[in-house]
Amino acid sequence: MFKLDVINAVALNTFRETVRDRVLYAIFFFALLASIAGAIFGSLSVHQEVRILLDLGLLTITIFGAVIAVFVGANLVFKEIDKKTIYLIFSKPIARGEFILGKFLGLALCLLVIIFAMGAFLYFVACVQTGAFGPVYPLAGALSLVYLELVLLVAMATCFSTFATPLASTFFALALWICGHLGLSLLNLGQLSESPVVRAATKGVYYVLPDLASLTMIRSEMIDARFVSPTVILTAVAYVFVYSILLLSLASIIAERREFQ
Amino acid sequence: MSDAVIQVDGLVKDHVSNFLRKRFRALDGLSFKVAKGETYGLLGPNGAGKTTIQKLLLGLIRPTAGEVTVLGEKPGSRDGLGRIGYLPENPYFYTYLTGQEFLEFFAVLAGVPATKRKERIDSLLELVSLKEIRQRPLRKFSKGMLQRIGIAQALISDPELVFLDEPNSGLDPIGRYDIRRIILELKAQGKTVFLNSHMLPDVREVCDRVGILHRGKLVAEDKIANICGAGGYQELEEYFMHTIEVAENEYRKAGSITPYHIERESNR
Repeated sequence: MFKLDVINAVALNTFRETVRDRVLYAIFFFALLASIAGAIFGSLSVHQEVRILLDLGLLTITIFGAVIAVFVGANLVFKEIDKKTIYLIFSKPIARGEFILGKFLGLALCLLVIIFAMGAFLYFVACVQTGAFGPVYPLAGALSLVYLELVLLVAMATCFSTFATPLASTFFALALWICGHLGLSLLNLGQLSESPVVRAATKGVYYVLPDLASLTMIRSEMIDARFVSPTVILTAVAYVFVYSILLLSLASIIAERREFQ
Repeated sequence: MSDAVIQVDGLVKDHVSNFLRKRFRALDGLSFKVAKGETYGLLGPNGAGKTTIQKLLLGLIRPTAGEVTVLGEKPGSRDGLGRIGYLPENPYFYTYLTGQEFLEFFAVLAGVPATKRKERIDSLLELVSLKEIRQRPLRKFSKGMLQRIGIAQALISDPELVFLDEPNSGLDPIGRYDIRRIILELKAQGKTVFLNSHMLPDVREVCDRVGILHRGKLVAEDKIANICGAGGYQELEEYFMHTIEVAENEYRKAGSITPYHIERESNR
């Protein structure tokens, strides 16, 4: 049985490590600059200022969030092995799964704070541009979807970092992230084929890859302030939860079997 | 020695290289016991397998063959680890944490009840003479201070058995004195200490018994009192050098002419 206080302690330690890293602030600063750039681009368009600002802002938050998720996530477990702090950790009476889950939650919490801060800044810029306080929920809803996607990315990077170097983990996680965005297109393309083998294969790949394209589609609908059924949202949350649990379980099994020379 | 805290029988550990799957025997048929309350020193040249033994006893790596029990448990078991403290060689600590935060973190991992954490951390900071600088980040600690905070984390759960891997490495005479003092205090408290070290004068002062490891084999084992008293050796260093020389000659006679460090490096 997992001990909650151990998971909390590892998560808090990971959160502290990440927020006390100066590189994070550089990334954060560039993300804010990019949001301001979005406002400038928006002002060049005719009657689409806010839409362009929000689209560019969300894209910026997604990309910078992904950079943090992948680069920090890829180092998450590897750094503990490389710096040999893993010897101190695993010589204590904790399950390796607790450690993996704690590392994941620590970075996920850190991303939550970053997404919230960047989202609040984006909302502030939008308010300045329109000169009025617009509704918060379309942006908040879209940001929640961005966050779900990043959580999945952290789980991928965490999993890879239990057995691969940071460079390889970064490559694997980014590749899986990009493929996840293309999965739906691949499925649609496969269904056009007359070969049942191709159709089955593309369907299989679609189910194995994380379905990030669907998350993006829901996000677009939310930012357009269109109605999105709660069932769709709950399904997306459940999907990310289950996929992340599977990845973290795999990471725990790898850590459990691994020898720390 | 029925009250053995550590019992090792026929322990073998092979390291396998990643790509060529080449095998290198790091430990070869080791058998020894450490009694409750004993301070046991494991000596040996670099690469003899001292750190490997500690990692095996902690369950960080698994044996290729042989039987190992630590505090009556399988190495790495949750119950066993709760009664063990460990300071690895040249450890890196979370430098972004303060001394206080560092010990709080390990107190949780070690399962120290929340109501006892503050008291335990205070007493350990007192023991390792770091109470005044508990709020200082670890990146501002000297090497000696880091070793002492490392010992404090090893003792956080008030363990019965403490593993220390080269705790004196790279320390100045004052730092070495501090570590010796702490080990003697642990001994006075009746704790079992398993020490890997190259600092033979320190080992002589704190240990009850030593084992000498050479090329993964335990080639000698005796009480300090027997070695430096009845054994006729003035210093532990003399005994160590003589034992290693004899073991190396035996090894050469058996066929290998490759100098040890070259063989070891080429096998990595």
